[in-house]
Amino acid sequence: MIAQRHILGTFDEALASLRNNVLMMAGLTESAFERAIRGLLDRDDDLCANAIADDEEIDQLEKQIDKDGIDLLLRFQPVASDLRRVVSAMKLSPNIERVADQATTVARRARKLNRHPALPETELIEPLYALAMSMFKDAIDAYTREDVPQAMAIIPRDEELDEENATLQKQLIDRMGQDPDQLRGYLNLIFIARCMERVGDHATNIAEDAVYAAAAEDIRHQPQTAVDER
Amino acid sequence: MVSLIEMPETLSPQLPRQSEGTPPTPEPGSTIQIDDVDFEYGSLRVLHDVTVEIPPRAVTAFIGPSGCGKTTLLRCINRMNDLIDNARITSGAIRIDGVDINASDVDVVDLRRRVGMVFQKSNPFPKSIYENISYGLRIAGVTRRAQIDEAVEKSLRAAALWEEVKDRLEANAFGLSGGQQQRLCIARALAVEPEIVLMDEPCSALDPIATAKVEELIYQLKTQYTIVIVTHNMQQAGRCSDHTAFFYLGRVIEFGATSKIFSNPGERQTEDYITGRFG
Repeated sequence: MIAQRHILGTFDEALASLRNNVLMMAGLTESAFERAIRGLLDRDDDLCANAIADDEEIDQLEKQIDKDGIDLLLRFQPVASDLRRVVSAMKLSPNIERVADQATTVARRARKLNRHPALPETELIEPLYALAMSMFKDAIDAYTREDVPQAMAIIPRDEELDEENATLQKQLIDRMGQDPDQLRGYLNLIFIARCMERVGDHATNIAEDAVYAAAAEDIRHQPQTAVDER
Repeated sequence: MVSLIEMPETLSPQLPRQSEGTPPTPEPGSTIQIDDVDFEYGSLRVLHDVTVEIPPRAVTAFIGPSGCGKTTLLRCINRMNDLIDNARITSGAIRIDGVDINASDVDVVDLRRRVGMVFQKSNPFPKSIYENISYGLRIAGVTRRAQIDEAVEKSLRAAALWEEVKDRLEANAFGLSGGQQQRLCIARALAVEPEIVLMDEPCSALDPIATAKVEELIYQLKTQYTIVIVTHNMQQAGRCSDHTAFFYLGRVIEFGATSKIFSNPGERQTEDYITGRFG
């Protein structure tokens, strides 16, 4: 969305490379999560192992983005929208990395669940995953296209995700009482559901950073009414 | 082109004199109101409807590409452009604390005492450090040695130069480094206790250390003076100034808080200029 070329072509190249790495990191995270969830739902340990292995590359990209971002700040001392683009890339990458960490956690717990008979409640994770991942993808999309309304629309969806997570947690706790032999399994599902809730939090952070990058507005830590009134 | 202090031949005998023994009382920094100013060199209009209110006791930076009119406007503020044939404000007014500086009853020499100027290239007199500072005071009629000594020390301290030169005040100013010479010129401007200090790219010929010292000095001085600085260095404008005016083709495109201009400018042209997308 950078309309006009910088006088320094090397700046444009460095900024494009930084943003490409963010997008690559987001893409890898999305596939890692997909593998982790398929590993859970299809009881496939290989997919879980792949999801865990993906995390290494994502971690390396996070470090690369930090390094490139600092290098860009040092070399070009960007201001205004250029500065916000660099800072937001550097702020996005830890959030993406934490989403990838949640994928790793899901994959590890899925492998534990796969050692025991399937729990029918596992399927209840899927809608939560769908909601969390759609928030994540939309947040990355809003960041890429510098689309403020799209980013703003993500914030209230976190409440919906929190409510769905709370409902599922209650259901799983009830099942634990009814079937104490499967206590470990339900506990793993509770932790997996919580991972989805965390993904929603990180997607919200990314959406907030996308608003800052595009409109120079800091909408963090505001009551929802203030965000709605914007 | 130099200011009052560098141009003794322009001094008027009618300059108000300080009474002996009474140190001049510095007035607080002044507000500069520039209203709808058009300016022409001969038939060439270089400023168009420029309106800016420069607040007191703050640093205001003028930025913009070469030839955009920022230095011309700066030089209007102490009527330095009067020295150029066929250069004139053709409409609008510049007021300092409400007084039109181009009114017929304004004493231009007194104006230039109130509005000091520092230039891109340091231009000390070929005299001693002491004489450089005391010159403006003597011209203004101060003759008491103790008072001049006090003012020399005060000005050199204000310009963060005292510790470096206090043991060689009689040495020739040309023996100072470039950065010291520039701070000497600032001290010389401060000696006559102006209300406003205009700086035209004051650090462009200085190394990074000397630049940092001048920038630190600007930060200290703004508590007492209204400072207007023309700079091509975006980082310097961002570091030093409280307010920034962006000029383009003789017009003020945007004027506002520096923090706003450099983080989220309101005008596309400002954004393109400060981010290096045209210039």
